[in-house]
Amino acid sequence: MRDLTRVRLTNLDKVMYPAGHVTKSEVITYYVRMAPRLLPFVRDRPLTMHRYPDGVGGEAFYEKDAPQGTPEYVDIFTRYSETADRDIHFVLCNNLDTLVWLANLGSLELHVTLSTTEDYESPDLLLFDIDPEPPLAFDDVIDVAHVVREHLEDAGFVPYVKTSGKKGLHIVIPLVAGYRFAEVRDFAHTVGKEIAKDTLHVVAEFPHSRDPGTIFIDYLQNAHGKTMAAPYSLRATPGATVSAPVRWDQLKRGVRAEDFNIRTILQGNEDPWRGMFENRQKIR
Amino acid sequence: MRTARRSGDKPANPVPVSPAGKAHGKTPSGTITEQLPVAEAFETKDRKSKKPDKGPAAGKAADESAKPGAGGRAFWSGSITIGLVNVPVRLQSMVKDTSFSFRLLHRTDGQPLRYDRVCSREGRVIPWTETVKGYEIRKGEFLVFEPDELKAVMPESDRKIRISKFVHYLSLDPMYFENSYVLVPDRSEEAYNLLLTAISEMNLAATGTITLRTKEHPVVVHAYRGGLVLTTLRYVDEVTPPDAMEAFAGLPVPKETELALAKRIIAELTGDFSLSDFHDRYREAIEALIEKKLAGEKIVYEEPHPEEAKELMQALKETLATLSAK
Repeated sequence: MRDLTRVRLTNLDKVMYPAGHVTKSEVITYYVRMAPRLLPFVRDRPLTMHRYPDGVGGEAFYEKDAPQGTPEYVDIFTRYSETADRDIHFVLCNNLDTLVWLANLGSLELHVTLSTTEDYESPDLLLFDIDPEPPLAFDDVIDVAHVVREHLEDAGFVPYVKTSGKKGLHIVIPLVAGYRFAEVRDFAHTVGKEIAKDTLHVVAEFPHSRDPGTIFIDYLQNAHGKTMAAPYSLRATPGATVSAPVRWDQLKRGVRAEDFNIRTILQGNEDPWRGMFENRQKIR
Repeated sequence: MRTARRSGDKPANPVPVSPAGKAHGKTPSGTITEQLPVAEAFETKDRKSKKPDKGPAAGKAADESAKPGAGGRAFWSGSITIGLVNVPVRLQSMVKDTSFSFRLLHRTDGQPLRYDRVCSREGRVIPWTETVKGYEIRKGEFLVFEPDELKAVMPESDRKIRISKFVHYLSLDPMYFENSYVLVPDRSEEAYNLLLTAISEMNLAATGTITLRTKEHPVVVHAYRGGLVLTTLRYVDEVTPPDAMEAFAGLPVPKETELALAKRIIAELTGDFSLSDFHDRYREAIEALIEKKLAGEKIVYEEPHPEEAKELMQALKETLATLSAK
């Protein structure tokens, strides 16, 4: 094992997802297999770890700061945080060992910023975070996502979509360098408002975002320091769901978020988000 | 005359006492033969106290020492026997081994190494059931001893400290002192205090023998800080005999003036000796180092899970190949 990874693996038998009896060994194996897709995406994006040291159902915590004992192969990005009033040492998941290390720590979910350390104040991803409020469900989110897609395609964009792994969908547009978060946020807000005007259930404003029977197109995630579940990140759900990139034509009513989980995701062999960063787009 | 002390009371000057399992600074030589040469070499080098190995014979010896006393720290109970008089006592260790011991790990994976009994010819691990004791008479030539043969000559541990003579404590040569134990009264405090008071007032110490585990030791029992202390003594042939020191006889006689100067320097440095001024600086440095390490990186043992990790290893191999192909 030592010639394959520098990570000191511990408690591989520990059950991380009790419902499906998914062990830590299986979690690490999953991330290792996903590494060729996941690593290029998360590279140089400061990470927020959602750690579940005792598995799903156990105590969990968010961690932005590299924990004590972070090994030397982990790249660190140090940044002063105004809210915390101190330097935060962000982990950058820039290599396979770091990914294995994170999985071994029980960091089931990997959340990354929408900008990279290359230009931390400038987002290179635009995110529409679409979530339903009951009684609306995933099918309704799919309908709305297609409306957003048509709207964006009509304006000449190529949007990408993934399941959040929970209730909703994430629509992402890779951006050329140099935008400010405020510009990107305004753009997403405008799109949301236009769609809300003539689409059933859709709301584009924050105060209504939790109204029952609505679907909120959340533009507020396009902000400094905000994060999004990385594509192929596991989620801490009973079914070990994955935030799974999907092709638009795969996304039909009847598809469920639970269909994309640790044990099924490997079967769709093509990465729907392949080549995304060769397709950076301008929003004005 | 002093009054008898209740067994629950602590001695006026409490002495540090180590737990029963660590009672001996050294294990009697009988159990050392259980150790493999490699283990012995390692332990000696590390100045680590020799623990009884897990062999069948050593296990028996360990039973004896594991018997808990009333205080949980005594490891031997029996009685001091003077003629027809018995003074029931328990033995508590006075000497604590504070030397450091490290585990030896495999550098690449942090796994602790273990010692195995490996046959020097076959190269395989030999179970205890297939072992026998041998005494090396010439290099590579052994006399084989069956357990029964050894058992026959093994001193019987009759749980008695047999006192044969009373002597002046200061007439004993401290060079022969080995390990010291506190003798604690066991049930009969009157008998204990009678002996204690008598030898204290006569300024005498009792000498005799005790059998600890499988070895008989000469002992001296004397009054110390309001109680009785037993000290095991080395056998005469365990200490360099005086005639080996003849070489010193031919040393040159110092000049008067030089001797006077030396004596003056010594006189200036003469004072009270305070042992507590001395510290094991190596141990303190190691302890500080451990604190630092604990605050930082911890070395965690990897549990070997060959079956569990098989998938993972395969995935790592494939992914590493994919990533390096890019």
